[in-house]
Amino acid sequence: MISDYNISRHKGGNALFGSIDKVALGLYALIVIIGVFCITSASYDPDNGSIFSLSHNYMKQIVWVVISWTMAIVVLLLDRRLFHMFAYPAYILGIMALLAALFFGREVNGAKAWFELGGMRIQPVEFVKIATALMMARVMSDYVFNINRITDLFKVAGVILLPLGIIVLQNDTGSGLVLGAFLFVLYREGLSKYIYFPIIFTIVLFVVSFIFSPVVIFTALLVLFTLYSALKTGAIAGHARFLCCVLLVALLLALLTPLSGYVSLMIACGVAAVMLAAVALKTRTMMLLWPILMFVYAMLFVPTTDVLFSHLEEHQKNRILTFVGLVDDPRGVGYNVNQSQIAIGSGGMWGKGFMEGTQIKYDFVPEKHTDFIFCIVGEEQGFFGAFIVVALYLALILRLMRMGERIKEPFGRVYCYSVAAILLLHVLVNVGMTIGIMPVMGIPLPLMSYGGSSLVAFTLLIMIAIRLDASTSDNDIYA
Amino acid sequence: MYQNEGYVRYRILRIVVLGIGAVILMRLFAMQILDDGYDERATQNMLRTEVEYPMRGEVLDRNGEYLVKSRVCYDVMVVYRELPKEGFDTLRLMTILDMSKEGLMKRLKEASRSPRAATLVVGYLSQEGKLLLDEGGFSGFHTRFRTAREYPRKIGGNLLGYVSEITQGQLQRSEYDYYEAGDYIGTQGVESAYETLLRGEKGVSYRIYDSHGAVQGSYNDGADDVQPVKGAQLTSTIDACLQEFAEQMMEGKIGSVVAIEPSTGEILVMVSSPTYNPDLMVGRARSSNYASMLHDQRQPQFNRAVKAKYPPGSTFKLVQGLIGLQEGTLRPGDRYPCNNGYTYGTRKMGCHPHKSPLDLRDAVAQSCNAYFCYVFKDMITNAKYGNVKEGVRVWNDYVYSFGFGRRLGTDLYGEGAGYVPTPEYYDRGYNGRWNWGTVLSCSIGQGEMGCTPLQMANLAAIVANRGYYYVPHLIKKIEGRDSIDRRFYERHYTMVDSVNFVPIVDGMWRSVNVSGTSRTAYLEGLDVCGKTGTAQNPLGADHSTFLSFAPKDNPKIAISVYVEHGGFGSAIAVPIASLIEELYLTDTIRRPELLERVLNFQPNYKHYDEKQRKYDAERQKKNEKR
Repeated sequence: MISDYNISRHKGGNALFGSIDKVALGLYALIVIIGVFCITSASYDPDNGSIFSLSHNYMKQIVWVVISWTMAIVVLLLDRRLFHMFAYPAYILGIMALLAALFFGREVNGAKAWFELGGMRIQPVEFVKIATALMMARVMSDYVFNINRITDLFKVAGVILLPLGIIVLQNDTGSGLVLGAFLFVLYREGLSKYIYFPIIFTIVLFVVSFIFSPVVIFTALLVLFTLYSALKTGAIAGHARFLCCVLLVALLLALLTPLSGYVSLMIACGVAAVMLAAVALKTRTMMLLWPILMFVYAMLFVPTTDVLFSHLEEHQKNRILTFVGLVDDPRGVGYNVNQSQIAIGSGGMWGKGFMEGTQIKYDFVPEKHTDFIFCIVGEEQGFFGAFIVVALYLALILRLMRMGERIKEPFGRVYCYSVAAILLLHVLVNVGMTIGIMPVMGIPLPLMSYGGSSLVAFTLLIMIAIRLDASTSDNDIYA
Repeated sequence: MYQNEGYVRYRILRIVVLGIGAVILMRLFAMQILDDGYDERATQNMLRTEVEYPMRGEVLDRNGEYLVKSRVCYDVMVVYRELPKEGFDTLRLMTILDMSKEGLMKRLKEASRSPRAATLVVGYLSQEGKLLLDEGGFSGFHTRFRTAREYPRKIGGNLLGYVSEITQGQLQRSEYDYYEAGDYIGTQGVESAYETLLRGEKGVSYRIYDSHGAVQGSYNDGADDVQPVKGAQLTSTIDACLQEFAEQMMEGKIGSVVAIEPSTGEILVMVSSPTYNPDLMVGRARSSNYASMLHDQRQPQFNRAVKAKYPPGSTFKLVQGLIGLQEGTLRPGDRYPCNNGYTYGTRKMGCHPHKSPLDLRDAVAQSCNAYFCYVFKDMITNAKYGNVKEGVRVWNDYVYSFGFGRRLGTDLYGEGAGYVPTPEYYDRGYNGRWNWGTVLSCSIGQGEMGCTPLQMANLAAIVANRGYYYVPHLIKKIEGRDSIDRRFYERHYTMVDSVNFVPIVDGMWRSVNVSGTSRTAYLEGLDVCGKTGTAQNPLGADHSTFLSFAPKDNPKIAISVYVEHGGFGSAIAVPIASLIEELYLTDTIRRPELLERVLNFQPNYKHYDEKQRKYDAERQKKNEKR
């Protein structure tokens, strides 16, 4: 161990610099600089002090950029093994910080997830992302770790769910969702794809259940699954007969009994499902069991969405309803999204020009320098600028994934993938929210949104990945 | 094997990442490139169109004195949504706006029903009030520029008309396209007749607002803005001093005074009594003042001078004489007897005592009824027409040429036509069985004849001009224009030759200056000519009327005075007309005792009072029911 330490030290800064991934570094720096320009556009006020006055948000952000970059250099100079070593303490520290915020923190926008230090707000969850990523890498890079073994899966689930639980208690659901990004990492690490089907299926069902009536959903699902089964087994005529029988029974029940169409369909499907399951078990055609199980799950899940929904907070309900288009309230809940879409949509191909966006300048877009900063790009630089920014993010994410692949040890790979996944989720949810394809969740656009703690945390997150990637020819990290 | 599996998953995940990117970019493409709607909405967000109201044009009298002045005032508007949530200094606002708490709250409650629209809180805020309001920084409240009217002499209520908010009914008609709800429009009188000139042209300004409703500047550096154009200043033909004098004399009396300058058709005086103080139709008390006028059975808002249909009485004998002379059925020297009237069949048209027989000049001077019965009968029953019906038809044409029975085409609001009976009218009324006796009452301007005081004044002008008139008008000069409408410069000739006017004018002169019914109108050296009228009516005492012009040669003023139930023409109409002539021609009043008499003269209006009592009782009953 001592000799390794010496080798890396003897190699000196030049060797380290040579092995650093400049593409990732460059992409990072570009995004940060674009972010500073956007904040300048959002907050420049010619009547308010000199251009360099620290009262301007963009000057504050520049100070934070300097701090971040200083910290980035420090991180890049650190020994890689430190990250492996500090995974546990960092994770424990992160959990404690979350708990401290929950009990002693400050409430902002309904979420008790902030500390206030000398006029500066810090959200521990930003740093918990780093700690959790490190912890995931640490746990999953264990010699004997096998993700598809149930005890190991529980271990991983524990690492994710512990902070997630606290974050949900803080009432900061948006940030909690970010931890869902680790599903991305788990897939890369070999988690069975069958875990993902029900998750995606549930999300789709949840959204769809707000838009369509249960009768429509069940009929559609019934047809879909029968079709799937028919194609899979080749017995098309038999499946068609089956489908007709079920629908006929449902129709008869609905017409002849006082039962509603919905209940009739449920009964017909229920009976059919039980019969099918019996046949499947008897003939050991397990292929049939999957669609049946998913259908039964849908039958149980869809009616409960109402119950689930009623347990949501009022603002969350409104956000979901607005998102799926059931409530159209451009002055109320939908106001932010509506104005942000107007801003981006009115940008056109080349945009209105730097500091010329009317939606931005005249304050129609709320939170324009934080959560809705993407509007500035969209309105002032148009599709051209928006395309470039999205492309930069995608390039950085793909680069991080490639770095992960390049690193021999699972620790580095899992970590890089975690960073990529966290960035992806942030970009998807944040940009998606500004263009109306995602419900409103208060999470920032990484590296661009105004805010010191967010910028520092994402810088550290990415720099650790770059540092882990650098000099991959080194001896392995577990020494 | 594991490595291999991992690589496959890496590639799948790469596709997932690129897929998410593609969805975002496609959505961006759809919004930014394909959909144009956002552009418009962004503009709508920040742009607000503001109407800039011009100053309304003012009206001067013929000597350059202000009849109508404009003063700047403001409407206070509120946008409910922009009111501060934490409330505002209600007490201070109430003081500035001079409103009661209940009034203010009522208006705010109304505004809350359409929270985004600018709703009127109160009108007629002075310039000082606006400054106070602006200083107070009441967010949600703003002001709208308006012009309020002011009347230095408080005269000419009916004549000038007033300005009021445009009605819903008007807004729905296409000719009012220029206006929007809440706009002011001239109603009645000059304000209505010259509305398009007085109102000016509204301007428009485009301003940029931020999301907090604060002005951020003008759009496109104001290149698209349109400046408002001030309304034109009008110079009226009215003599303010004379008008005020006439209104004073008519106070308490019901009727009308119209004076015209014969050589131009310019209306010097036009009084419809009872009139009202035009200031009552301005300001916050407007609607209650208006309502009380509406309930007044003497109808102060009814412009009798141009709308009322009065029997012209004996003044109409002038027309009869002129027609007879022109048709050759009467010669100036013809004498007819008068036996205290004229008997035809079983009926008799009475007359007052005077010496008999008389020639045309003296018949005019003494206003002999019998004489003009002969004149009229001789005319319409003349053999050359074949029958009476044709005779009346010819008579009709003459009367129309004097401006009776039709609108003169003045610039006066709501001008009436009066009424001249036609053969068809008598056919309908008498089933075709009628003769000269049926229409005889027309000979002395009674019966079915209906004339507006303006038409009678115009007759005075015709006689003064010996046979023609200019269309009477009220506005002689429009700011920014070289001339007024062409029709006011045209001479309109009657069907009677100028030579035939000589004996009639002579008779009118004798009536004033030698011996006759109009002696009171005598003014030394002014050669006043006049013809009295005493019109019978079923409602009460006779209407007193007088038609006059002066001087006899080169006349400066033609005048008609009509006082309902004033008795003999000489009783009240003659002194009023004479005093106006005296003031106009000599600038002084040398007969204060006559003025005193006129001012103290009070006709008996018991049938109006009776009507008012009944009306009030009925209204009270209705109110009680409610």
